[in-house]
Order: sequence, then structure tokens, then C-alpha cells
Amino acid sequence: MLHVTALIILLPLVGFAVQLFFGRRLADPLAGAVATIFVAASFVVAVGVFVDLLGVHAAVRSFTQVLWTWLPVGGLHVDIGFTVDPLSMTMVLFVTGISALIHLYSISYMRGDKDFPKFFLYLNLFVASMLILVLADNLLLTFVGWEGVGTCSYWLISFWFTRDSAASAGKKAFVYNRIGDAGFLVAMFLTFEKVGSLNYSVIFSHLHEIGSGNITAIALLLFVGAVGKSAQIPLFPWLADAMEGPTPVSALIHAATMVTAGVYLMCRINPLLHAAPDASLTVASVGAATALVAGTIAATQQDIKKVLAFSTVSQLGYMMLAVGTGAYEAAIFLMIAHAFYKGLLFLGAGSVIHGLHDNQDLKRMGNLRRYMKLTFWTFLVATLAIAAVPPLVGFWAKGDVLDAAYARYPVLWVVGIIAALFTAYYITRLTALAFFGEDRWRDHRPHGVGSDVAGGHDAAAGPPHESPWPMTVPLVVLAACAFFGGVLSLPWYAKGTLLQWVDPVFGANLYNAHQSAGMLWTLGVVDAVVAVIGVTVAYRIWATRSEHPQLEPAFLQKAWYINEAFDFAIGRPGTRLAAFTATVVDNRVIDGAVNGVAALVRGTGGALRRVQSGYVRNYALAITVGIVALLGFMVTRLWWS
Amino acid sequence: MDQYLPILVLIVLGLLFAALSFVGSSMLAPKKRPTAAKVAPYECGIVPDIEPPSRFPVRFYLVAMIFIIFDIEIVFLYPWAVVFHQLGTFGLVEILVFAGIVFVSFLYLVSNGALSWAPAKHLERAMPSRTSDSTIARISGNPDPLASGPPVASPDVEPAAAAASGPGQAA
Amino acid sequence: MSPSLLLGVAAATPRFRTPHIDYLSILPILIMMGGAVAIVVVSSLVRRQLRTGVGTLLAIVTSLAALGASLTQWADVADHGAKVTIAGAVAYDGFSVFIQVTVSIAMLLTVLVGDGYLRREDVGGPELYVLALLSASGAMVMGSANDLIVIFLGLEIMSIALYVLAAFNHRRTESGEAALKYFILGSFSSAIFVYGIALVYGATGSTNLPEIADYLSKNVVASNGVLLAGLALLLVGFGFKIAAVPFHMWSPDVYQGAPSPVTGFMAAVAKAGAFAALLRVFVSSFGAERADWQPIVWALAILSLVVGAVLALSQRDVKRMLAYSSINQAGFILLGVQAADGRGVAASLYYVFVYTFMIIGTFAVVTVLARTGDRGHDLSEYRGLAKRQPLLAGALAILLLAQAGVPFTTGFLAKFQVVAAAVDAHSYALAAVAMASGAIAAFFYLRVAIAMYSPAGASGDDASHEPAGAAGAGVGGEAGSAGSGSPAGSGMADPVGAAGGRGGAVGVAAPGVAMLSLQVLTDEAPSPEVAGRTVPVPALAATALGLAVAFTVVFGIVPAPIVDFAHRATLLFL
Repeated sequence: MLHVTALIILLPLVGFAVQLFFGRRLADPLAGAVATIFVAASFVVAVGVFVDLLGVHAAVRSFTQVLWTWLPVGGLHVDIGFTVDPLSMTMVLFVTGISALIHLYSISYMRGDKDFPKFFLYLNLFVASMLILVLADNLLLTFVGWEGVGTCSYWLISFWFTRDSAASAGKKAFVYNRIGDAGFLVAMFLTFEKVGSLNYSVIFSHLHEIGSGNITAIALLLFVGAVGKSAQIPLFPWLADAMEGPTPVSALIHAATMVTAGVYLMCRINPLLHAAPDASLTVASVGAATALVAGTIAATQQDIKKVLAFSTVSQLGYMMLAVGTGAYEAAIFLMIAHAFYKGLLFLGAGSVIHGLHDNQDLKRMGNLRRYMKLTFWTFLVATLAIAAVPPLVGFWAKGDVLDAAYARYPVLWVVGIIAALFTAYYITRLTALAFFGEDRWRDHRPHGVGSDVAGGHDAAAGPPHESPWPMTVPLVVLAACAFFGGVLSLPWYAKGTLLQWVDPVFGANLYNAHQSAGMLWTLGVVDAVVAVIGVTVAYRIWATRSEHPQLEPAFLQKAWYINEAFDFAIGRPGTRLAAFTATVVDNRVIDGAVNGVAALVRGTGGALRRVQSGYVRNYALAITVGIVALLGFMVTRLWWS
Repeated sequence: MDQYLPILVLIVLGLLFAALSFVGSSMLAPKKRPTAAKVAPYECGIVPDIEPPSRFPVRFYLVAMIFIIFDIEIVFLYPWAVVFHQLGTFGLVEILVFAGIVFVSFLYLVSNGALSWAPAKHLERAMPSRTSDSTIARISGNPDPLASGPPVASPDVEPAAAAASGPGQAA
Repeated sequence: MSPSLLLGVAAATPRFRTPHIDYLSILPILIMMGGAVAIVVVSSLVRRQLRTGVGTLLAIVTSLAALGASLTQWADVADHGAKVTIAGAVAYDGFSVFIQVTVSIAMLLTVLVGDGYLRREDVGGPELYVLALLSASGAMVMGSANDLIVIFLGLEIMSIALYVLAAFNHRRTESGEAALKYFILGSFSSAIFVYGIALVYGATGSTNLPEIADYLSKNVVASNGVLLAGLALLLVGFGFKIAAVPFHMWSPDVYQGAPSPVTGFMAAVAKAGAFAALLRVFVSSFGAERADWQPIVWALAILSLVVGAVLALSQRDVKRMLAYSSINQAGFILLGVQAADGRGVAASLYYVFVYTFMIIGTFAVVTVLARTGDRGHDLSEYRGLAKRQPLLAGALAILLLAQAGVPFTTGFLAKFQVVAAAVDAHSYALAAVAMASGAIAAFFYLRVAIAMYSPAGASGDDASHEPAGAAGAGVGGEAGSAGSGSPAGSGMADPVGAAGGRGGAVGVAAPGVAMLSLQVLTDEAPSPEVAGRTVPVPALAATALGLAVAFTVVFGIVPAPIVDFAHRATLLFL
């Protein structure tokens, strides 16, 4: 089964090709069904490979399938090779699994959209790119997937490109990602220059030859790429805007795939990080800061999807904190846990938005638990999970992260705990506003001055309704995962857990806190208490009333004015530069140059024009001139020698 | 320098030949300038106002070209015949191949009616005969695809247009 | 001794020692020539209506046989090593076999494209194939020649057939004009080439390539000037055939005027043959003199890269644009020549090989789109093609992108390799110019793609992409053409539409051939108005196009076999 690893990628690619050529014919909803089947098949293959991989002895549990040599040019030798090891396998399983669910969900969600097949075209390509990214055995191939994912997300975010906001959100995502990609590219150049190969195993085995300065530089440059992709400080604003895409896109990008790519990359290069403690500290600090900052922002947003977006940023910060601490296992665990509950939250939010006929404004929801029972209960599970209330998956995952942080960087642990409080708070606020309180959606006075919430509930469309089964089935499945996911890795039971599973990949690079059982218990209790406090406070405040302006300072609503800061520092000067370019440079310099070139062509190029005249005699003359020039050169060679 | 002596001699000989030709012709040619009547196409009858178009059926050219083919064959056959014995079987086979290829060209010409002097039937079938209608259509400038008139030249290859498509256009 | 032989005085003189002829070493050439003769014979004997069909069949069989023979040769050379045969006139090595494979494939693709063209244009029968086969055999001779005289022989066999091919469509005056120009200038350059051979012979005392190399390695040539002049003139001759600036003047006119399938053939085969001979002569024989000729190739490459790219920008005629782009591509291949080492040669060979597919495929689309009369080459004809015939547009887009060097196509690796070879040879300026010109080139390839994917009725938007100077003229022309064309809706200005009404001229022109309109395979049913403008795509041309696209994409993703093929061809280089 290991030898069909490539099939995992091939299936979504074939799905993509099918959509490309026959999508319009299959049309709504068959195109979606076909796309779903391909991704589901990919998941099945992945499970098969996983089972096979389990049979391999833990010490050698890595298999690379080299399909063919991609670039066999001189010193640069790059294979199309895919590595399955516990790390990539874990990613593959949950990427394919979650994607299959999201595909299924989208069939129903995108029903009636005029570009229905195109949506699944992008989705399939997106999944394939993500799998290439995860399974690649070298940096360049990873980069191909990396770019593929970025491009697809651009298409998907601006899927409804006739909306201005969607178009500019797509552009924003693309530009922010490009900034990160620049880091990735430079890292690749540097690696090739120093190591002479882009293959991971070769790079890792030559680390001692390239000096710690270079290692730190490469690790930090790759981290720049990860910052862009995983929306860390300061490149996180695009993720909030990315909510302009259809909700399954938000779920796909946020929960399972694109944003975790940065975390995955950091885990993949763990030997580099291990050899560069400074880089590790940077990663951890940026992660912790992001977790806190994004958490504060999420606590004040009005748009249900924006809350979830900043929540994702915050969770990614936790993952980066874990990576920087060296607790890769915790990062992976949190990534999986996050995929479960964030996927659930997004799909639940989608269900809500769907049920309220495209209303995304939290202040115009309320009391939905009476109308959308299934959605409510699954959403509640997700809420408690992300708030890290035991015994749901979030508690165990976040606990692992914070335990490691406590042991290595106590300051960052404090930041993490505060962020955890905010996490419990904002998510409970969201649930309370949406599912408790009064039926505010009946009242369609405009709310939330200054908010950029799109859409509004049309009262004439009737009361909210539960979604059809393709939308609810994924909810139930994910809810089960979010509830029981903790069994993947429980602190007191090591055998057969995630830790033991991914251990061979990280080996000695894994940070081991060596904490006593008592310490672990204490930390766990602290986590739980913080979560419960957050949940209780938020419920008390928001379950009954929806307006607490003092709790929603503009500073936080505007996301710490980071957009404005960018606008001020880059955007406006850029615009001014562009305007300057348009009015002055373009009109005077460029046009001048063009006119100058034209004049030049007219003047000196007159000869050329006369030669290309259609007259054979002139062509022959040109040849003669060429001969004379060549012979003249040879004469100089004679003299010179 | 010795090796270049023959070249020098050849050049001198060439120049001498050219010079001698001029000198010889001027010495041998009749001195008297011909009268206008003498240079007329016919030394009698009406002097034509315009040059009559000299038209030859294209078949004359065809015959000339067929002749060249066989002429070339003979050119090759003669030296071959001279050393026929020394070349042996190999030479025989080679010349047979050569003759065969030349014969194929002849076959091709015959099958295409190059030697049939009467108006060829199949040619008439292939090309629609010109009727007064089509002629009128052609002359009046009505583009009739069935009329076998000359195609309208695309201006792109006309000298002026070819120049225009060069960089001059950008100017 | 020689006078006595010539005069034939002594019949008793010993027999000639005729050279031993290794027929396998020239088998593809013999097959090509034999196929040409066979087509003449058979087509002379069958009924007129069957001639094109029979000719196509025979030409395909011949090309496939030549390809098979070349591949047999490849196995043979790989097993038994390279050698020189037929009295030192023919080199039988990986390099020559590589060229024979390339030319066989080019021939096959050309036949597939040519069939539909012949049926549509009704300009003659299988003579096209005969001439193309002969021309291809000439290119093969150039590839395996081991002697300057033999190279010249191959050059002339190739060129003379090409001159006639250029004039093949006797209904187009441009065709005749192109042929005459090509003939006159070609003869001119051939004469110069022969002069170069004579000078080299004068300096080294031999025309045999290994002997020349041997001589140059052992002796310091006394009158170096003769040798250098000879080298310069040889470069002129080759430069003309590959259309390197400043010997490129003929190519835009000839590419534009020649029948479209012939243009593709010319671009592929003439380049393959000329580059093969150029590489063999200069890299292997005059390798010791590289300090003298490398700067010239350097200059030719830079000029070709720049002039080709810049002049292609302002073309509206797609064939003319492709002519300039092919000059640009020749500049890229010259990068590999200039590097003058194993990597450079391998890169050039790879480039020539993959370019064959790209350019013939491109011209297959151009041929199909030109419609009866072979004159629909203006960029406006391509507008909205994606709506009318998405597969055709997609195929052309892929081939154009490949020529622009987009990753995951063979074109990317081709450019990558020659540039890498140039960098390895420390020709940094050349590599930089090549990459810059590649960027410019991407523009004019994309312009065609954009035209195809923009709505048919839209006017003026394309003009904004024009170089500023040309914009004024572009807008005027564009508006004019849109004004006259689109209100009619179905573009009936085209003779095809008119003739179609008159009893289906297209159908009559192609009896017995399955006319596979790609429309059948398209994704959505076209509106009747749009359907009126679709062009029929003959099945064989579609096959050729499919082969070209499949090759370009598949070996763009899995490049190793072809790269390895080119690399091994140079390892088995004499």
C-alpha cells in the first residue's frame, strides 16, 4: 500500500481534471458529487497507506516514493518525490478527511450558484496542492504546493469576484502571502547555495557543515514564509478579509489546510529549528504574541466569521508557540484538534448564515437554539472544545502546548494563559449572541455602525431553518471528533498515542519538559479553571444583552489598527507613489521614454526599417553587412593575437 | 607563395579573356550603325505602336525542363560509362538506382500530363472552365471563389507594408 | 593517377576500392528518400482523387519507418558505440541519431498537419510530402555528416526542397514571393558557405571534420587569417539557415508567405539540421579555436534574442509574430552553442527536440485557423477562439506558454538548460539578456492567448496592450475591423462561410476524411451565431496537435527521459 502514496495526490488531481473538462456538463450538483468522491477516495487511500505505515517498525517509519526526476539539470537535481512518515501521514489523514467533509458540505451550500462546477474545480486543485505541500520530499516541491495553495485560495476567496470586497480580499490574501513567499524563496536559494540540494533528508544530514549562522538565517527565512501563510503577526490581516469567500472556503482554508501549512513547514524543518535556538525563540515569541493579540481582537468582532477568523489566528499562534518551544507533538495535536473544532465552528456558522439567509451579523442573531437544534448542539461542543473545557479535545491539546511553554519559556506561558482566557471568552460570546437571548434577527434595523458586515436577514424569508443533511452530517462527525479527540494524546497514557506515533520524526529534536505528575496536574487545573472562568463570564455578559459598547473598544474592533498601520506605512505611501507614477513618471518619464524610443526607432532605427523592406536586395545587403562585420572581427582577432 | 601562383595565373587569364572578348567583338562587328528599319522586328509592313506580348505556352518550358532532366542523366552516364569496368557491380547497381529515380520523375511528368499536348481532359475536370459569367464576375471585381482569377495579394508582404510591420510602425 | 582515371585511358588500371557502406548508419535517410520516390511512383499510378490519401498514408508509413530505424540505430549505437562510416563521410553516433529521431518526428507531425491543408486548399497532391521527405532527408544528412562537403550536400538537399515547398500554394502570391526571396537569399548564403568550406580546406588541407580537428591540434596554422575567414563564412551560412540576426531578414517574409504546415516544418527541420551541423562543426572540429568564434556566436545570440523579441512585439500577423519569435528561440539555442561544452550541446539538442513539437503544434493550429485560402492570420481572427473552440484554444495556449518557457512544460526546461549552460560558461551577460528577452517574449505569446480568451466582439482592449507607439494605429485598425466584422455577427466576410453555403466546399474538399470538429468535444454548446465561425479541425491535424501538446505537457512534468536522451546523445558524440 505504501507504493500507492502518489495516488493520494493523484486522485484530487484527476478530480480537478475531470472538473476542468467535464465540470460544466456534470453541472449542479453532480460536479460536486464527483469532486467529493475523488477526495473521499484519496482519504481512503491515505488510510490504507497509514495502516501499512503502522506495520513498519517505528525506527524506520519513513518511506519516500520518488516518481521521477523533475529537474535533472547540472547541480540542481530535484525529484518528484513524496515522503510518508508519521508527520506527513498525520497531516494527510486530516487534510483529506476534513476536505472530504467540506466537499460534501459544499454540495449543499453552493447549490444554485452559477459557478457551481468552478467552485469544485478550485477545491479539488486546492486539496491536491495541499497534499503536494505536505508530502513533498524537497523544498522546491513543497514550494510548488505552497504556491498552488496560495493561488487556489486567491481564486476561492475572490470566488464572488463581482463583489468589490471579495475581489480586494483575494488580492489582499495574495499580496500578504507573496511577502511570506519571498522569505521562502530566499531560504531556498540560501539552502541550495550552502547545501547544494533541496532535499529535506540531504539538508538535515548536512546541517553541521553550513554553520549555525546560516541555519538560523534559513530557519528564520522559512519562518517568514510561515508567518505569511499561517497569518502570524504582522501578516495576519488577510485572514480576516478572507472571510469574503464562501463559508466552506473559510472552513477549508482555516481549519484544515492552508493556514496550517506554515506550522507544518516549521515542524518539517525541526532539525533546523533545533540547531538554531534563536530562531526557535523568535518563533515561540511571535506565536504567543499572535495568540494573545488575535484573541483580544476576536473578543470584539461583530461578524460571526470574523470572530472565527481571528480565533484561527490566535490558535495558529498557539501552534507556533508549541513549535518554537520544541513541542512539535503538541503543535500537531493542536492542529488536529483545531481542525476538528474550527471546522465544526465554521460549518456551524455556515449553517447559521445559510439558515438566516446570508446574515453574518452576530448582533442580529440570537435564540437560534430553538430553531436549529442540531447546529446548536454541535456548535456548543465546538465552543467548549476551543475554550479548552475538559475533557474535550481542546483541553488536552492546549494543555500540552502550555505545559511545554511553562517549562521552557515561563514568560510566554503567562501570555498563553491570558490568551486562553480570551479564547474562552470570545467563543462563548459568539455562542451566546448567536444561540441565546432574543430573536434579534426578526428586527431588521441596521446595527453595528461602522461594521462591514455583509448581507442582512430578510424577514420575509421566514424563520431560520435547519440545513439539509449534507450540511448536518459533517457537523455531527466533526462534533464527535471534537468531543472525543482527546484520546489521540492523553498525558498519562503514552502507548499508541500521537506522541509515540510522531516521535520517530522528531526524535531528539523534541523538547522534553520532564515535568512531574504533580506539576502536570497543577497546570491542567489552571488551564481548566481559566477556561471555565472565561466561559462563565462571557455567558453572564452576553447571553441576555447584545450591546456592551464598553467591552468593544474601537481599538480592538479595528484589530489594533493594524490595517490602518499598514495603510499608513505602506498603503498610502504606496498609493501616493502609484499616483506619482501615474501622473509624473508615466506621463513624463515613461511616455517620454516611449516617445524617445519611438523617436530613436524612427531615427536610428530607420536603417533597420529600410532593411526589413520586403526587398530582397536589402536583405542581401544585410547579410553582406553581417559578413563584413564577422570578417572585420576576425581581422581584429588577427591583429590582436 | 608558390601555391598561389596558379590562382594568379587564372586571374590574369580571366582578365585577358574578358579583354580579348571585347577587343575581338569590336574588331569583328560591322562598323556601320544599323538604320531604324534594320532594327525593326520585320523589315517590312506596319511598324507596331506597342510591343506585342510574347506568349509561349507553358508547355515549352515543361519540355525544356524535361530535357534538362535527361541531359543531366547523360552528364552522369558518360563518366560512369568511362570507368564502368573499374566500378564493377557496385557501379552498375548505383547507376541503375540513379536511372530508376530519373525514370520515376519521367513517370510523374507523364502522369501529370506534361507530354500530352492536347487539352487534357482531367485538367478540365479539375479546373472549372471559364464561362462568360465567371469572366464578367471576375472583371467586375466581384470576388467569386470559383473563378480561378489571381488571388488578391495580402498587403502584408508588399514592400511598403512589410516595412510598416517592422519597427517603423512603432515610430 | 587521377588524370589517367579521368581520361579512362588505361582499362587495365586496378578497380576502385569502393567504400564499405554501413547501410544501418544511413538507414533513416534512405528510408526518407525511398519513401519520397515511392510516393511519386504510386501517386503517378493511382487515380487523381486518391492521390492525397495515398500520399498521406505512404508519408506516414515512411516517417514511422524512419523513426523506427532511428530508434534501432539508437540501440545499436548504445550497444556498439559510435563510429565513422562510409569512408569517413558519415558520423554514426548518438548525436546524429538524435537528429534523425527529431527530424523523423517533425516529418510525421508535418504530414499529419499537411493532409488537411492539402484537402482544404486543393493546391496539389502528395508533392508536398515528396518535397518534405527530401528536405527532411537533407536535414538528416546534415545531422550525420562528418565532412564539410557532406554537410553542404545535406544543406542543399534540405534547402532546395524547402524553396519549392515555400512556393507550394500557387494560389497565393505571397507563397511565390516567399519562395523567390528564400531561394535568392538561400543561394547567396550557400555560396558563402561553400566559400567558407574552401577557405577552411585551404587552411587545414581537409574537409573531413576529425581530420581538421586533428590538424588544428597538431599544427599552429601559419596563415591563420584564412582559417578565421573560413570560420566566419561558415557561421554566416549556418546563421542564415537558423535565422540568426543579422541573417534573419528572410524569415518573417518566408514564414508569412509559405503555406502554414510548411512554415512549421521549416522552423523545426531547418533549425534541427542547421543546428546539428553547427554544433558538430564548431564544437567538435573547431573546439580549439573557440576563442575566435565564441564572441561571434555570442553576438549573434544577443542580437537574435533582442531583435527577435522586440520585433515580434509589434506584429499583428500571427505567422509573422511566430517568425520573429522563432528568431528569438534561435537566440536561445545559440546560448548552448556558445557554451561550447557537453552541457551546452545537450541543452541545445534538448531545445531543438522539444521546440520541434511546440512549433509544429503551433502551426497546426495556425493552419487550421487560417481557413481556406490560408490567410486568416491576423490576431483578430484569434479573438474569442476560446468561446468557439475551447480545446483548440487551450492547446494553442499551452503550446504558446511552453514557448514562453512556463514551468511544467518542456519549454521551461529548455530555456532553463541553455541559460544554465551559459552561466556555467561564465557568459553572464548573455544569460541575463536571454532571461530579459524571455520576459519580453512572454508578452507576445500571452497576447495571442489573451486574444483567444477575450470575447470576440470586444475591440480596442487589446490595443491597450500594444507598445505605446503602435497603440494609435492598433486602435484604428482594431476599431475598423470590429466595426466591419462584428455587426455581421458571424464574420461572413470569410470565404469559408460563403463557400460553405455553396454546397459545403469544405466537405467536398475532404472526401473520405472524418472531419472531427473539436466542437463536439467542447464543454458547452455554442450559440448558433458562434457556431458559424468555428473552423473544422481535420482528425489528423487534431492528432498531430494532440501529440504535440501531450509531449509538451507530459515531458514538461516528467522531463528526465528527454533530458537524459539529449544528454546521452552528447555522450555518444564523436
